[in-house]
Amino acid sequence: MSARVIVIGAGANELVAAHLLARAGHEVLVLAERESAATEAGWVPQPVVRALGLERAGLAIERPEPWIAAPLPEGGMLELWRDMPRSVEAIRRLSRKDAAAWPEFCARMARLARWLEKLYGAPPPDPLSLRFALQVRRLGRRGIEDLLRLVPMSVADLLDDWFESDALKGALGAAGILHLHQGPRSGGTAFLFLHHHAGSPEGVFRVPRSNLARVLAGLRGIEIRRNVPVARITVREGRATGVVLAGGEAIAARLVASGDDPRRTLLELVEPGWLDPEFARAARALRARGVAACVAATLDRAPGFKTLVIAPSLDYLERAHDDAKYGRISRQLHLEARCEGRQLEVQVQYVPNEAAAGAELGEQVRRALAPHLNGATLGKMRVLLPRDLEAAEGWPEGQAHHAELSLDQALWMRPLPGWARYRTPVAGLYLCGPGTHPGAGVAGAAGFNCARQILRDAGRT
Amino acid sequence: MPSGYDAIVIGAGHNGLVCAAYLARARRRVLVLERRERVGGAAVTEEVCAGFRFPVYSYVVSLLRPEIIRELELARHGLQILPLESTLTPLPDGDHLAQWSDPDQNRRALARHSPRDAEAYEEFGRLMHQMARAVRPLLGMAPPDPASLDPRELIGLARLGVHLRGLEAGQFHALCRLLTTSAADYLDQWFESEALKATKSASGIIGTLAGPRSPGTAYVLLHHYMGELDGVFRAWGFARGGNGAVSEAIAAAARARGAEIRTRAEVAKVQMRNGRAAGVVLASGEEIGAPLVVSNADARRTFLELVGAEHLPAEFADAIRRLRFRGSSGKVNLALAELPRFRCLPEGGPLLRGAISVSPSVEYLERAYDDAKYGEFSRRPYLDILIPSLLDPGLAPPGRHVMSIFVQHAPYHLNGGWSGTRREAFGDTVIETLAEYAPNLKGAVLHRQVITPADIERTVGLTEGNIFQGELSLQQMFFLRPTPGWAKYRTPVKGLFQCGAGTHPGGGVMGAPGRNAARAILGNRA
Repeated sequence: MSARVIVIGAGANELVAAHLLARAGHEVLVLAERESAATEAGWVPQPVVRALGLERAGLAIERPEPWIAAPLPEGGMLELWRDMPRSVEAIRRLSRKDAAAWPEFCARMARLARWLEKLYGAPPPDPLSLRFALQVRRLGRRGIEDLLRLVPMSVADLLDDWFESDALKGALGAAGILHLHQGPRSGGTAFLFLHHHAGSPEGVFRVPRSNLARVLAGLRGIEIRRNVPVARITVREGRATGVVLAGGEAIAARLVASGDDPRRTLLELVEPGWLDPEFARAARALRARGVAACVAATLDRAPGFKTLVIAPSLDYLERAHDDAKYGRISRQLHLEARCEGRQLEVQVQYVPNEAAAGAELGEQVRRALAPHLNGATLGKMRVLLPRDLEAAEGWPEGQAHHAELSLDQALWMRPLPGWARYRTPVAGLYLCGPGTHPGAGVAGAAGFNCARQILRDAGRT
Repeated sequence: MPSGYDAIVIGAGHNGLVCAAYLARARRRVLVLERRERVGGAAVTEEVCAGFRFPVYSYVVSLLRPEIIRELELARHGLQILPLESTLTPLPDGDHLAQWSDPDQNRRALARHSPRDAEAYEEFGRLMHQMARAVRPLLGMAPPDPASLDPRELIGLARLGVHLRGLEAGQFHALCRLLTTSAADYLDQWFESEALKATKSASGIIGTLAGPRSPGTAYVLLHHYMGELDGVFRAWGFARGGNGAVSEAIAAAARARGAEIRTRAEVAKVQMRNGRAAGVVLASGEEIGAPLVVSNADARRTFLELVGAEHLPAEFADAIRRLRFRGSSGKVNLALAELPRFRCLPEGGPLLRGAISVSPSVEYLERAYDDAKYGEFSRRPYLDILIPSLLDPGLAPPGRHVMSIFVQHAPYHLNGGWSGTRREAFGDTVIETLAEYAPNLKGAVLHRQVITPADIERTVGLTEGNIFQGELSLQQMFFLRPTPGWAKYRTPVKGLFQCGAGTHPGGGVMGAPGRNAARAILGNRA
């Protein structure tokens, strides 16, 4: 039997896993189907940074300031900053009450986010363990009560508890629905809001970007073969034995770690017949519905913002989702735009994967952005619909998170209840992509946790 | 003002009565004060028009705890529950879906729509039974405080942990999913027939401003399997005489043990003395003292109106203000000259004796929610219908019938507010909706009573008309109900307890909050 470990995919998670396994003495082969075009979004938990010496290797987290700008109906922008007094000042123009509540809100959320960050640098907790109970209790009474209440609630309820300004609540609430086929009035969206806050400083509620992909590409010690799609994961007697490439080449391995999404890995790549029907049914029921399109364009000059959100109120977002619920593109779109120099990239939600056509989408986005570009003009719009993203990035149904980050698919239920620790019913086959805990937005953490699980399991046998 | 009472219970809803009965059973001298002219709160039977008696608000029995029936000897005090054996879902194409409590009959009925569903149903039922069994012990428990360092609380938490750890892994996972997912998503895994998924998921939206695709609605599916009647899980029933008869039986049990019940006695204030509750002041000005006051009213009414924020820690008062009520259910009660003739069931028959559910598809229910989300009543609402006079002919004159229609959604916060005109428009919508399935209905209506959440608030005293005294959402359940840190029926006001549906385990004519509260007061550890 080969001593080799095969890692399927070459994203941040897969490369983190590959390097950790290589450093532990495994011979690692990374098989990448494609050159990933996506910029790595996400913060990197400290254990990952330390384990791979990423800081020395030049890891840089990019946090735009202001971290968000939201156009106001009466003209002007609401700009929110890492700098607390500056944000308070900006919010005061909308509501004195909200401005007064902002520092306390940020402190309470940050406390929970710090707690979540710890949870994300390790495999998902066993909710009934004493260890987890102690972890929760470390939050103190206020923290425990905040956590228990917040996690199942809707982001709309959470923000309604604290604020009155629609513009503020819309801009914040959007963080609770990114890549989720839910509106802000759905339970569990407060958790996603918190998820997107983790890794950011107090008062910042958007996921940063990093150069992690580039840094990982510069590390040595693993073999990467690119443009080699894996067609099958071979299984003998319930154990993964290697892979077969699309070209027919078979490569034997002792272990296989797949960064592909759980559904595709288990239901398409694994040779049929090895999963018990109940597990297969649960895997098929995993929700991974693409809801966001990506639109890119070049401007003739810089528009004067780095990040812009169009989400004027919670109701606006909720109505946007109402359309998506019935398979239509939102008539009023939620946009998250990022601009670097003259390059504009817009994430557009909701564009459900099953929605017809979408040729108009570029124009719809252009119209929505036009008033906020300070006179700059947009060039040709390049539109990637969920189905294009599926083809280009391998995202199932165009879902960037591989499995939607709703509460019933999070933490110890991610990707599936009972199978949250990167293992699968096929011995020697592991999952290491964003479809596993902690999910997208936390760069490399799933790969890190998976590699550690593999090493722990290997130590046992 | 010494009155000789050990305890005063504010409100004679079923939970207040249950609590009083248990306190009296423990030889406490108890006085129950009820604002209305009759006991029962939302569990009342009233003669709405001459000769026609209705379960005006709450209309079925399913969750009433068997230990309460037993311990309070409710059967001896007149409680008789008639089983509901079927659910009929009429469909727009003239067909129908039937579900039966008899498994064989049920399988045949479901197989007509989908043989796969008929097969899956039994496995689904088995899992749900197991889950209901797993959750059942939690209903009778005063939730431990997860943040406390008190050894007793720690022991409570440890016992809870041991209980949950004792479940099979598969059951615990299913429980986690049920708590977090949506009813429709959960059912999608099991069934394919739209009408079946819709009718089952509808139970998840009852009383809550949510759609079947809203996360958190799946848990309520369990409630339907928790209803125990004569030890048989998942049997629904109708109390002979309507749900008022349930209240009357509990009141009789309480009186038999020495409790005193005064109706038309509205409590205006909880009397505070030296920072603790010392009795009540009635709207009439009468003062009645007692060392212990137990409120059956919901938390907002209890703390912000009867006690007053000035007597409360500021943070607690804020938590009470943050409670979500958002009543979203209405009721239409019809006096009928004849039975409805459903297009799908021209011959009538035994299915009319069960529940009738207008829930043709998940999308239908979801759209009903969409309207309510933005402050309108549903243009095509979900209806849960009973014809009680078929089970208990005494409720209507011979040959005539009473029909109880529970309606979702009718938001309390209606755009422009509820008025007489809007109420009637709402009533029209309900009748139009049902008449699409039973065309003779319009001509058969002798009298109608339309009840909006605003009416429920005004008449029964439930804040925002919420039938559960506060939304039964995960953020307001178990140790978070009604607010974190105060889930054990005690309150920050010494001498004041809560015993209503606003406390764990919540609403439905269950009685568990009343019993748990009495046990907490008497110092019995759950």
